[in-house]
Amino acid sequence: MTDLSPISALGHAVPQAVRIGTLTITENAGLALASLALRQGGGAPQPFGLPLPGPGGWANAGATSAFWTGPGAWMIEADGRAEDDFASALKAEAPGCSVAEQTDGWAVFEIAASVATLEALLEKLVNIDASRFVPGSALRTGLEHMSVFLIRRTEGQLALWAMRSAAGSAFHAIEAAARRLDVA
Amino acid sequence: MLIPHPLLGPRDAQEFTYLGDASLLNRPDGMAEGALAAFCDYVYLRDNPAGVHRELWFHEQGDRSWLVVTRNTVTHEILGAELARDVALRRQK
Amino acid sequence: MTRLSGGLIDRSKTLRFTFNGKGYTGHPGDTLASALLANGVRLVGRSFKYHRPRGIFAAGSEEPNALVTLRSGARAEPNTRATVAELFDGLQATSQNHVGPLNFDLLAVNDLLSPFFAAGFYYKTFMWPKVFWEKLYEPMIRRAAGLGAMSMQADPDAYDKGFLHCDLLVIGAGAAGLAAALTAARSGARVILADEDFRLGGRLLAEGETLGDAIAPDWVAGVEAELASLPNLRILRRTTVFGAFDHGIYGAVERVGDHLPTPQTVRQTLWRITAKRTLLAAGTTERHIPFANNDRPGIMLAGALRAYVHRWAASPADKVAIFTSNDDGHRTAADLVAKGMQVTAVIDPRRDAKALGQYPLYAGAVVSDTRGRLGLSHVQITRDGAPVWVEAGALGVAGGWNPNLHLASHHRGRPVWSDAHLAFLPAAAGGPPGLSVAGAAAGQGTTQAALTHGAQAAQAALADLGIAASLPDLPAASDAKGNQHPLWHVPGKHRAWVDFQNDVTVKDIKLAHQENMRPVEHLKRWTTLGMATDQGKTANVTALAVMAELTGQSIPQTGATIFRPPYTPVSLAVLGGGDTGPNFRPRRLTPTHPWAAAQGAVFVEVGQWMRAQYFPRPGEATWRETVDREVLATRAGVGICDVTTLGKVDVQGRDAGSFLDRLYANPMASLKVGMVRYGLMLREDGHAYDDGTCARLAEDHYVVTTTTAQAGPVYRQMEFARQCLWPDLDVQLISTTDAWAQLSVAGPNARKLLERVVDGFDLSNEAFPFMACAPLTVCGGLRARLFRISFSGELAYELAVPARYGNALMARLVQVGADLGATPYGTEALGVMRIEKGHAAGNELNGQTTAQMLGMGKMVSAKKDAIGTVMTRREGMLAESRILVGLQPVDPADPVTAGAHLFAEGAAQDTWSDQGWITSACFSPHVGSAIGLGFLTDGVARLGEVIVAANPLEGKSTRLRVVSPHFVDPDGGRLRD
Repeated sequence: MTDLSPISALGHAVPQAVRIGTLTITENAGLALASLALRQGGGAPQPFGLPLPGPGGWANAGATSAFWTGPGAWMIEADGRAEDDFASALKAEAPGCSVAEQTDGWAVFEIAASVATLEALLEKLVNIDASRFVPGSALRTGLEHMSVFLIRRTEGQLALWAMRSAAGSAFHAIEAAARRLDVA
Repeated sequence: MLIPHPLLGPRDAQEFTYLGDASLLNRPDGMAEGALAAFCDYVYLRDNPAGVHRELWFHEQGDRSWLVVTRNTVTHEILGAELARDVALRRQK
Repeated sequence: MTRLSGGLIDRSKTLRFTFNGKGYTGHPGDTLASALLANGVRLVGRSFKYHRPRGIFAAGSEEPNALVTLRSGARAEPNTRATVAELFDGLQATSQNHVGPLNFDLLAVNDLLSPFFAAGFYYKTFMWPKVFWEKLYEPMIRRAAGLGAMSMQADPDAYDKGFLHCDLLVIGAGAAGLAAALTAARSGARVILADEDFRLGGRLLAEGETLGDAIAPDWVAGVEAELASLPNLRILRRTTVFGAFDHGIYGAVERVGDHLPTPQTVRQTLWRITAKRTLLAAGTTERHIPFANNDRPGIMLAGALRAYVHRWAASPADKVAIFTSNDDGHRTAADLVAKGMQVTAVIDPRRDAKALGQYPLYAGAVVSDTRGRLGLSHVQITRDGAPVWVEAGALGVAGGWNPNLHLASHHRGRPVWSDAHLAFLPAAAGGPPGLSVAGAAAGQGTTQAALTHGAQAAQAALADLGIAASLPDLPAASDAKGNQHPLWHVPGKHRAWVDFQNDVTVKDIKLAHQENMRPVEHLKRWTTLGMATDQGKTANVTALAVMAELTGQSIPQTGATIFRPPYTPVSLAVLGGGDTGPNFRPRRLTPTHPWAAAQGAVFVEVGQWMRAQYFPRPGEATWRETVDREVLATRAGVGICDVTTLGKVDVQGRDAGSFLDRLYANPMASLKVGMVRYGLMLREDGHAYDDGTCARLAEDHYVVTTTTAQAGPVYRQMEFARQCLWPDLDVQLISTTDAWAQLSVAGPNARKLLERVVDGFDLSNEAFPFMACAPLTVCGGLRARLFRISFSGELAYELAVPARYGNALMARLVQVGADLGATPYGTEALGVMRIEKGHAAGNELNGQTTAQMLGMGKMVSAKKDAIGTVMTRREGMLAESRILVGLQPVDPADPVTAGAHLFAEGAAQDTWSDQGWITSACFSPHVGSAIGLGFLTDGVARLGEVIVAANPLEGKSTRLRVVSPHFVDPDGGRLRD
């Protein structure tokens, strides 16, 4: 175990969280992320028993989830494994695929609120049809000129992956939009 | 504009980066005889039609697919879109 | 001049406001205009060119005259239409465009000079002498032009934006819009109903009509209550849909807080609405009839007069006259009489006109002149050549109604003239796809027709989408279609205004005709007709009709007016979006940012990145002192720099090597695992594009780097190559720029420093030579990647760790390397050291240079077909003899200026003698003087020669000696130690 101390994407020793009425935005520093891409002629694996979702989809099995990022490409999320070499673990689960470490390429903010509030927030942030972005959906899109992944985990839970270097700007954008909503 | 992404459905054009004429898919063989002349045409000669045009768009703020979009440059009507990779593979066959 | 009974205002509450400092009161439900009228204020401003006294002309967003500055201080907002400014307690308004008090404007002298200010005046007058333009004419015109003035202070309010999606967008909540929204919402479709007013109902609020057995406002309230209860419908009040864009995308501004004494969270929101179908139900705008002196305060549109009376219970004067060419004007007269007002005359050019109520009717007559210095007092009525003067404090003018088809023509859809309507109607085809027009905007102008047409249009639009909607039961309403007579202006000697906002008169149109500015586009530009905030909503069609009369052609032969976005003015603040200052655009921070900030680093913006520029220490007076110290410390001991911003792309797949061979001009497939190679990318036209390194981590795995600036474009290019050019290759790409914190550790003590953090990794020159790379662990088990590469010319490594550890690693290296002289350095020192080493960077890779110019011509492999290789063989490229050299001033005290051009000593300093330019320059603490890099004709052959760098901008020339670009360690021994 290294004796160096990590910092979260927002630059602090501990992940940040903010509550605005019933809406919460939480930096999740424990979620590991790795990319998985199929090689030509190779079949789709089921890493950790996870069926890989189709375009626009997010699928979850226990502590591991996957979302589609492009033709033949996915991101795999693993709860609480950010400190592990998760890419190597995934590589072992997906032999013959291209895997790259992505945990620290991104920062994820988990947003929880009522359905109406989440959809009102989405309307202010991204140009996607919020009411059609149902649980199990995942998309990459632009948010305030940043490239982000959005995942609707449940009716009331949204995850937003932003480039780690722009985590502060992304957090600001979400928080500013949330504060402008009429959230009781 | 809305680009009808073949995998993701209509997506706002702001998510895309525009490149231009889809003839850029037809890259000449650089090792062939007369490659220099072929490349001069490839690099510099483009049709610039007022009307139906096949053009390349990159879904940069999306799934990173290059698309061939058929668009009427006068009305902006979009007549179709497919993955550029599929077009390129078909061309090679 | 007082409040009448009734109206849609809340008399239980009183709102105080001021106009030009004087206090007045009004009620919730008032606009500034209705409150001013109710307080007897008719004079509200001065006209643009002639500074004529002007009053309120309309009752909606088409208002040309009543432009005021709202609020004060930083919130002062010029050119606001009083007719749409919702009254709030404490509102402050001031009039515009006058010098001295409003009722005694010193610039009113312009009115006496009016013969000089005719159409085309500026074009004709300010042409010569040329030198007068900048010094005299432009400042003078700028002072006189414009109406209100900006506060020149930062806007204190927040603006927002958002994105909405729907099946049906209904624009306008009048009779047609409400019927459409009701029809669509009941079907379950997702509907957005937007209206620019703060109250739904549109024209229904301005009439004394009944719908079924309810008075109009009550019927509206009933519909509104049902709509509000439906979750699939969203009502956007105070929202102007200002533009129709491609593929069903509409721009709209919601004025969230404009009506509040102090805007709360957000002042305005810009909505980008993506609608599958759209109904334009924007109603109609009345037009006037130009006659002599028709611009006095008190003269207004007859329909506006009716609206002020019904909706706002505000009467502009005790005695009112109506000038109408149609039956609708008589309706106004009858309504006024019913409200107990005194109608002194109704003037109608039709000899067979019939009165609709008890008022004096002048059939077969016109208004031929008016009196009243700061407000109307009398109108002159001429019948059969015999004029009489009749007293009137207000005159309603009714010249017919123009459909508000603006959005339907935003894609250049040309409206079609209808003789039956005496108006342009939206064309059946050619408008924005997916948009249809309903109700009065489509010529279905009676209340009954508008209701029915609105419901049917919604049904048809939804049927297109496969959504079945049934028609609601609609109430019985007025279906009276009045007659109208085409009267476009009253001929006469005096000025008759067509466009009030731009002071364009019938005479100006005659002049335009005389000077052959006849096509409608020329007419507009020659006279300024239809420009500015109202965009000629009350003027354009009338002007066209006058021009038609002059040319002897029909109106459709003369032309048609079409429109561009925005429908009404949109503030730049709301287009600019919500964030200002440091949040105006995303900021990317490097992994070591917190540590650098704690050290007092000065940061510099590099694209979106904030990078440490230098790390000043106490006692250092200038940045140069700091940078010199950082450079010398690195070259003497060891320096550490965060280089995370360089783009990193992970390349995997069986064909990864072959793929990179096609992307880089030099070979990459032959690179051994565990080694790194410099790579140069070309554009397909043969010019240098970008450079970086390729590290081969495994047979099927490379990590390549790009320059910071080109990380995005290079990745795009790589995906283009992968998907479009060589789709048969097995290769997968993903950016890992942010994933790894990458620190450059450079200097003679670099190895010693790294030995203190690696976990038993052999760093000896034999085990890990120059250009080696390897995965390893550091600091007790942290996974890392090490690359032995150098940008500074020193023994150097780049160490990459997961980004979250970058900050701690930086602190650790500086801490454990204290005795080795470990010194953090920023981008300035980085730049100095790369110039000293003669490495090309962005200044040299500027898109106009070639591998040959960079001294890398031999790197371009002829044995493979890489992007750009073929085109480097063009004659012109091969003949290029400018090449990168080092430059050093002959007098060490002289500066070297980047951008300066190079000439042989004694040569003329002109284009024909130009021999190149300086790309990069800095002070080199290593050399002890300024140095530079530049491209010089036949440079290699001229080492030692003295040339001249010309800096004509500053009138300076400097003598420079041509030297090797490698000021430091030219044989590269330090790198390989």
